[in-house]
Amino acid sequence: MTTTACFIIVSRNDIPIYEAEVGSAAKREDAAQLPQFILQAALDIVQDLAWTTSAMFLKAIDKFNDLVVSVYVTADRTRFMLLLDSRSDDGIKSFFQEVHELYIKSLLNPLYLPGSRITS
Amino acid sequence: MANYLAQFQTIKSTCNHLIIAVEDVSDLWPTVKNSFEERLPFKRSCLNNKTRNPVFVENLPAEYILTTDARLRSRFPQEQYLFWFREPYATLVLVTCEDLDEFKTILKPRLKLIVQNDEREWFIVFVSRAHPNNDQATKMAKKVYAKLEVDFSSKKRERCCKFDIYAPEANFWEDLEARIMESVRNTLDRRIQFYEDEIRKLSEQRFMPIWNFCNFFILKESLAFMFEMAHLHEDALREYDELELCYLETVNMGGKRREFGGLDHGDDQAALLIPGNKSLTQIVQDDSFREFEFRQYLFACQSKLLFKLNRPFEVASRGYSFVISFSKVLALHESILPFCMREVWVITACLALVNATNSQYKEGTATPEIEREFYRLQGDLYSLCRVKFLRLAYLIGYGTEIERSPVNSASLSMLPWPKPAVWPLVPDEAASEVLLKEKMILQENPRVKHFGIQRKPLPLEPTALIREANRRRASLSAGNTSEMFDGKLGFADGSGSDASSKTSPSSKAQAISMSRTYSTPGNFEGSIDRPMRLAEIFVAAEHALKQTISNPDLLKTLSSIQDIEQKYMDLTKGAADNYHRSWWKRHGVVLDGEIAAVCFKRGNFDLAAKSYEKVCALYAGEGWQDLLAEVLPNLAECQKILNDQAGYLTSIVRLLSLDKGLFSVKERQAFQSEVVSLAHSEMKHPVPLDVSSLITFSGNPGPPLELCDGDPGTLSVTVWSGFPDEITLDSLTLTLMATYNADEGGKLRSSSATVLKPGRNTITFPLPPQKPGSYVLGVLTGHIGHLTFRSHSFSKAGPADSDDFMSYEKTTRPVLKVSKPRPLVDLSAAISSALLINEAQWIGIIAQPINYSLKGAVMHIDTGPGLKIEESHSIEMETYINAAQISTDMANSGDARKDDNENFEQLSLLDGKIEFPDWASNVTSILWIPIRAIDDKLARGSSSGAPQKQSIVDGMRTVALKLEFGISNNQIYDQTIALHFTNPFHVSTRVADQCNDGTLLLQVTLHSQVKATLTVNDAWLDLQDGFVHAGQDDGRPVSGFFPLVISPTSRAGLLFRVCLGNGTALDENKAQPESILNISYRIAGDRTIGAHPPVAAKSNEIEGTSQDLIFRSALILQRPVLDPCLAVGFLPLPSDGLRVGQLVTMKWRVERLKDIEESRVPQTNDDVLYEVNANSKNWMIAGRKRGHVSLSTKQGSRIFISILCMPLNAGYVHPPHLGLPDIDEANISCSPAGPHLVCVLPPALSSSFCIPA
Repeated sequence: MTTTACFIIVSRNDIPIYEAEVGSAAKREDAAQLPQFILQAALDIVQDLAWTTSAMFLKAIDKFNDLVVSVYVTADRTRFMLLLDSRSDDGIKSFFQEVHELYIKSLLNPLYLPGSRITS
Repeated sequence: MANYLAQFQTIKSTCNHLIIAVEDVSDLWPTVKNSFEERLPFKRSCLNNKTRNPVFVENLPAEYILTTDARLRSRFPQEQYLFWFREPYATLVLVTCEDLDEFKTILKPRLKLIVQNDEREWFIVFVSRAHPNNDQATKMAKKVYAKLEVDFSSKKRERCCKFDIYAPEANFWEDLEARIMESVRNTLDRRIQFYEDEIRKLSEQRFMPIWNFCNFFILKESLAFMFEMAHLHEDALREYDELELCYLETVNMGGKRREFGGLDHGDDQAALLIPGNKSLTQIVQDDSFREFEFRQYLFACQSKLLFKLNRPFEVASRGYSFVISFSKVLALHESILPFCMREVWVITACLALVNATNSQYKEGTATPEIEREFYRLQGDLYSLCRVKFLRLAYLIGYGTEIERSPVNSASLSMLPWPKPAVWPLVPDEAASEVLLKEKMILQENPRVKHFGIQRKPLPLEPTALIREANRRRASLSAGNTSEMFDGKLGFADGSGSDASSKTSPSSKAQAISMSRTYSTPGNFEGSIDRPMRLAEIFVAAEHALKQTISNPDLLKTLSSIQDIEQKYMDLTKGAADNYHRSWWKRHGVVLDGEIAAVCFKRGNFDLAAKSYEKVCALYAGEGWQDLLAEVLPNLAECQKILNDQAGYLTSIVRLLSLDKGLFSVKERQAFQSEVVSLAHSEMKHPVPLDVSSLITFSGNPGPPLELCDGDPGTLSVTVWSGFPDEITLDSLTLTLMATYNADEGGKLRSSSATVLKPGRNTITFPLPPQKPGSYVLGVLTGHIGHLTFRSHSFSKAGPADSDDFMSYEKTTRPVLKVSKPRPLVDLSAAISSALLINEAQWIGIIAQPINYSLKGAVMHIDTGPGLKIEESHSIEMETYINAAQISTDMANSGDARKDDNENFEQLSLLDGKIEFPDWASNVTSILWIPIRAIDDKLARGSSSGAPQKQSIVDGMRTVALKLEFGISNNQIYDQTIALHFTNPFHVSTRVADQCNDGTLLLQVTLHSQVKATLTVNDAWLDLQDGFVHAGQDDGRPVSGFFPLVISPTSRAGLLFRVCLGNGTALDENKAQPESILNISYRIAGDRTIGAHPPVAAKSNEIEGTSQDLIFRSALILQRPVLDPCLAVGFLPLPSDGLRVGQLVTMKWRVERLKDIEESRVPQTNDDVLYEVNANSKNWMIAGRKRGHVSLSTKQGSRIFISILCMPLNAGYVHPPHLGLPDIDEANISCSPAGPHLVCVLPPALSSSFCIPA
């Protein structure tokens, strides 16, 4: 039993601009694109859900077997997507808020072009 | 009470509409029956629902039943209560009476009886049989009806209505329907109340041990059924929902372990849409129902109602969640269910739902949102079904045929294996099949990825099947501990978990013994020590599945690989289509990829390529490169097979431009070699290839290259190559685009083959001259073999961020600026004042570069007419320092002027060209050219009387200069310089005095024409004929005055004495018509200012002496005009003046003043030609205007010439003039001397002349 998580920031143009594998488990070599695949498919759901609520945090929007997709949509339709195999909404929400602050900081960087890859 | 269950079922099936009882008092029913029944069902009715809110119901079915009917008679009172919903909802009393007495005595008591003793809802229909023509009868009937109304109707409620058989009133049927409805409504209300009370009572006891779910169910369903009969589907649905909730609550209540069900044959087929699949009595267990069947039954009832409500969308949405939750429940009971029952059930359930909802769903009826949602659900159902189907296919050994794509891997690798209590065993007789499977496994060769991409295949299994299956078998023999361990593991696996840890081993063991999936314990015991091989597992699973699956269709689809593939295709297509319709493009497109994989396998490459293209477009558009890397090779392979070279190359280029980490170096090299080999092969249709993502380029950092108009240059461009290896480009062309207009700029060509290293390359292009403007890099094109490629993208710093969407919005930096044409150099003459004509003179030409290098410049000199270059002298060139500069230099550094700042060089002229030395490239320099202006004419002096200005044009000469300069002598500067040449002096003469002895004093004034000091050393005059020098000297002024220094622009005078000589020079050969003044002089001037000493020949220069120059000027001396021969006098006019229209005689007197000398006047006789000239506008002349008069040649002879004239205009006018054309004017003396005026008066008033206006 391992905790794996994949975190992706998707820009408003549906382009992933930041990817990170977090979690304790060693990455399964043969399933490298699985989180990507799942999160990509979840974009379909986000596009539907994002307009139904005014909240930024969309909670768990999709479940893939035992993996849960949580999404946070910022005001410019940038999406933070987290694929996690355990759910604790509060923890995820505070994580997202923290990330949002960091994201805004990087947006304020004059050298950063909105929509381009975040490299660090 | 549970005993009533069966009865309840039958009642439900027989009675599905409202019943209206007919109490036929007067035996009228047979006559009216038809007219009553043909108005059924009720068109519109208003009923109260459970919350007493009115609901409008349309087309409510009902049935009239006579109270004497057996169906209403034979019921026990208790039954009646329980199944009250089938009792009549209204009682219609049908009476007739034609007599008041009869009514009072017989009918009324009887009616009272009927009405009183029952709590039924009743009303009376009075049937009048009176014929409308029969007034008597009609009146009677009316009376009786009135009486009836008085007796039975109340103010609160009308309970009567009247029906005329022969002429029914118009509103009777409406009345009747209203009465019936009123009754039905009331009855319904009452019964709802009753059921609710009962249900409440029962549910209060819910947690008591005696509580029986069946009773509760019967009550609840009765209510629901009643609602359904009354077409109150919403309420019925709500009842079912509550029932389900209640059931789930009780079934989950701990303690009791109930049978789950699902073990019957055919249970594997989901019956979630068929309420009557199994009768309820079959599934009853103790005081409740078996969960497996009962939940499906409830869902079936709900979906039936939803379909009636025309809400197939809701069926789909509820169905999907039902399937999910029920699947979980099945997982809980997996150990007791047949092998893979869960998977099979889900497949059938999904398909059933999809089919049912699809058939009920009409497109366009729902809102767009609902419609999208509906299609999404369909897609979900399909894909769920698909996953389960894949799992089954894998289990029976077709795993190798399943495409190991991300979507399949994602869905399957996290889906736990089925967890039967024990893994099925290989049947004894199946040895041959095992062999077959084994063979299949051995034969199967792993799918080779294209381009030799080495990638671990994606997993389709959560854990290795062989281990799982063997562990499942071993666990039984190993005993409880491992089973416990297994249970824990399963639990930890997540939602689809195994039996909870509460399951005691004993019950598990029992469950296993009940399982039908293994044949005999003995067999099981026997094979325990040997683990199963994979082929055996497959065969065992196949056999077990065959036993599980009861649906022949499904069984058939799993029977062969072709069938599996077909089914798989259907499911995938269904899912993809529905996802597309629901705008879930990502889900849809991914499944398109799966379809493509199957198409590819079947050899349908065209379709496969199309679908793969869609997938690739999605991933590429959104930049999910990991996923793209998975699909793109497949697309490329398709295109290769289809011989779509353009597409194939594009795909490879895209593969190459993906993140480098996604493919190994070897793979990338394989891609490149593919490109190169294709490029050098014979291509039928050479295709342009866009390599924008692979080869990017940018100008060098730093300011753009600046060029002057017309200059060529070299532009160095950084090109980034994304190829893994060096690649040879046979040619390379780069276009430049002007920034402010759409014109394409020039093209830069690098003709030779270029080798691009991976990464950064710097390529230098020769740059032909461009139009002015600033340029950015446009498109890079080139050739690799026969392949033409283009790259549009330009990157700022490097290939990174090339997928960045913002890159196109970046304004590109210009790489080249070509300035507008401007003067780059200036050529001007250094001299402002005139030079000496006919002498070798230096002309200075200042060549001033204007921020532009004159390196290698060549000057062509083309002298104009009358000018030639003294070729004997070399041309001098030196640094030009103008006066202002000198003065500042002096001021700054005193006299310490740096000599090294100055350059001096002697150049020679070759073919009219001078090459500039290097030092002159950036400094202003001056070029001294020896030149001689040639003028053959002698200078002419002028007399003081009419000082004629010498024309400047005479001394003008031009030099055409052409300077070729620039990097490749491409710049040309043309300049024509005007030079002014002049004689050193201008000579003017005047006779200063005429002495009595005939000596003339001739004053010669010398005007200096140049800005140089002239020194006159000698001057002499060669006189023309007719003049001689006075005295015996040679005509030179006194030599003591020489040298005479004349400052620039000043004057000097010389005086000569001459006198008229007679024929002294006749002996000379030539008559000299002019006098010539010879002046010997020297000049001291600076060549920078103007005239200067002529360029000396080299030899002379060494001597340091300069010869005197001779200036010659012609003078014309005229003999003085001494005496006029003739005098013409205008005689005075009459004193009374001239008047217009009055004739007047004009008179002239001509007098000869002296004798005519024959030589002077060419006149042979004494005739004098005269001519009168007058303005014909003013004068009318009568008589001869021209004629000869005779005049004696003797001195003093005179004649008068008179002419009659008439003035025509008043005013001061010139009178007619007498001229003597034959005689030189110099010899005529006129009086008055010049033109004069006379006064002409206007005509007298009485005059009858017509005066021209």
